[in-house]
Amino acid sequence: MIHDSIIRTPLVTGDKTLHDVTTEICRPIENKPTTEWKVGFTLSAIFFGILALTLTLTMVIGIGTWGLNKTVQWGWDITNFVFWVGIGHAGTLISAILLLFRQKWRMSINRSAEAMTIFAVMCAAIFPLFHQGRLWVGMYWVLPLPNAFGSLWVNFHSPLLWDVFAISTYFSVSLVFWYLGLIPDIATVRDRAKTAGRKFWYNFFSMGWTGSVRTWNRYEVVSLVLAGISTPLVLSVHTIVSMDFATSVVPGWHTTIFPPYFVAGAIFSGFGMVLTLLVIARKVMNYQDYITIGHLEAMCKVVMLTGTMVGLAYITEFFVAAYSGVEYEQYAFINRATGPYWWAYWSMMTCNLIAPQVFWFKWARTTPWFIFMLSIVVNVGMWFERFVIIVTSLHREYLPSGWVMYSPTIMEIGIFLGTFGLFFTCFFLFAKFLPVINMSEVKSILKNRE
Amino acid sequence: MIDSKLYLDRNKTVMFGIFENPDKFLDTVGKIHKKGANIIDCYTPFPVHGIEKAMGLKRSLLPVGAFIFGCCGFLTAASIQWYMMRYDWPMIIGGKPTIGISFMPVLFEMSVLFTAFGLAFIFFFRSKMLHGKIPSERVDMRQTDDRLVIAIATDNAAVSKSELTDMLFDGGAVEVKERTNHDYEDFTDVEIKRGSNI
Repeated sequence: MIHDSIIRTPLVTGDKTLHDVTTEICRPIENKPTTEWKVGFTLSAIFFGILALTLTLTMVIGIGTWGLNKTVQWGWDITNFVFWVGIGHAGTLISAILLLFRQKWRMSINRSAEAMTIFAVMCAAIFPLFHQGRLWVGMYWVLPLPNAFGSLWVNFHSPLLWDVFAISTYFSVSLVFWYLGLIPDIATVRDRAKTAGRKFWYNFFSMGWTGSVRTWNRYEVVSLVLAGISTPLVLSVHTIVSMDFATSVVPGWHTTIFPPYFVAGAIFSGFGMVLTLLVIARKVMNYQDYITIGHLEAMCKVVMLTGTMVGLAYITEFFVAAYSGVEYEQYAFINRATGPYWWAYWSMMTCNLIAPQVFWFKWARTTPWFIFMLSIVVNVGMWFERFVIIVTSLHREYLPSGWVMYSPTIMEIGIFLGTFGLFFTCFFLFAKFLPVINMSEVKSILKNRE
Repeated sequence: MIDSKLYLDRNKTVMFGIFENPDKFLDTVGKIHKKGANIIDCYTPFPVHGIEKAMGLKRSLLPVGAFIFGCCGFLTAASIQWYMMRYDWPMIIGGKPTIGISFMPVLFEMSVLFTAFGLAFIFFFRSKMLHGKIPSERVDMRQTDDRLVIAIATDNAAVSKSELTDMLFDGGAVEVKERTNHDYEDFTDVEIKRGSNI
């Protein structure tokens, strides 16, 4: 029995019945694809093609096609890796942490956010795999198999190896969590299916689900336990990513605040991307009653909070560098703000710290077109953050003879744009073949019961 | 396609009450359980909170299994790292001990990985779920959409059939059916009207 507040606006508007929820959410799956879908999918597929081409060229010609050099040995590859892993943080945060905090507004957005998590981690994985150049040789280094050229094992003291375990665990656990959540909804699509193909495939993936209360009883326990273990998992992933930098002796990376700062940044960028996609999706798919202004507002508040946390970390880094008295650290930070890459630093500061402060105003949090613009700003800002951390710290060595500039080649730009192709191709397929909103959870929070 | 004998088939005669309103459904399930009838199962399109209590279901023991799997993950990670870094080829890096705090991240990740996969596996096993299985417990095609179904065994119940029918209709059932299982996968459903003589 649900006892809702009469003051609080309902999470699902439009006086929906249980059947309305099913019909409206199954509509894109059961109908022919719309023109918008076809155009979007074709564009994404073209970019996906660019990814395939640039990755093939990288492998055939070699890693020399990238703009990396002796000093800046990580450039766009690791920038993009951290960028995509960060985007992959919102999904599990929404479905796990908000589940533990009993935030019911997560129910309309958790499915698509989790899907984004999975697709974003797939995009992220491309970079560390391919930056090894000949990845079939590199695999021996990455996995706990004996080194191909001797009897050495991988080094478990290295954060780079922890990262392999963290990212692969995060990807597979998110996939399990996502699939478990999908099973009841796949069964709903199965029971409405009219064509033989749909009947077969949705039956195959629904695993014989009938909505039995005995199964629901176990299912709820499983969801809770998975949420419980995913919460420290999601925090561990970006913590470990940050340790790739923090355990080094490079000025600008050698910072103990990196783990919380990276986690806050990841949530910030993840929500930025969720907002970018959902503001469009709710309009195009006509889901304004499910993903209401209230949902957007709640996400904007998270963006504002985490943006401010990230901004605080930027300022703390400056302060600690000044206070430490280490001239290399001090130089690294002054060089970030005033050196040759000043434009990247100030783009980061403007987009991540200053821009989200507009969300203090209710108008900004409740106007979809404005939220969309801001979410793009957040995405750009968070990409620049990673670029600033990686490139500005590396382009200045301890010895001035190692000072260089770095700029990406057409190949690196192609791979980066191509990952957007992969991400959106997957997202369009997801929106066509699977229910974008978690029907069974949304049905449990409908207001118009007697 | 795989199928298996399920709860419904084990009982010779089963009565189904089909509801549209979740709150009325929950009330009725509670009343029927209190009356001492043998509720086989209920089928709902979404998790109805409190229904497990109304039906008298116990809390699942799956977390215990999950914990065991987690321990297995922890032990696997510990043995891999101990074998590689200490036993087979001790690797001294920066003069630091070969076993240390730096094993923690992998211990944690592997524990989580094993817990999640183990839990999903025992959940599927316990609920008899398998890819491609035919949902033979489907009473109403709309039980995954907007209908809620209660299945009660009638052959050895403490409550008479007519009492059950009245309770279901009074509770707000839109349809009441009786199923007689002749053999596995061979059954007939008869619709029961309010006040009909059974």
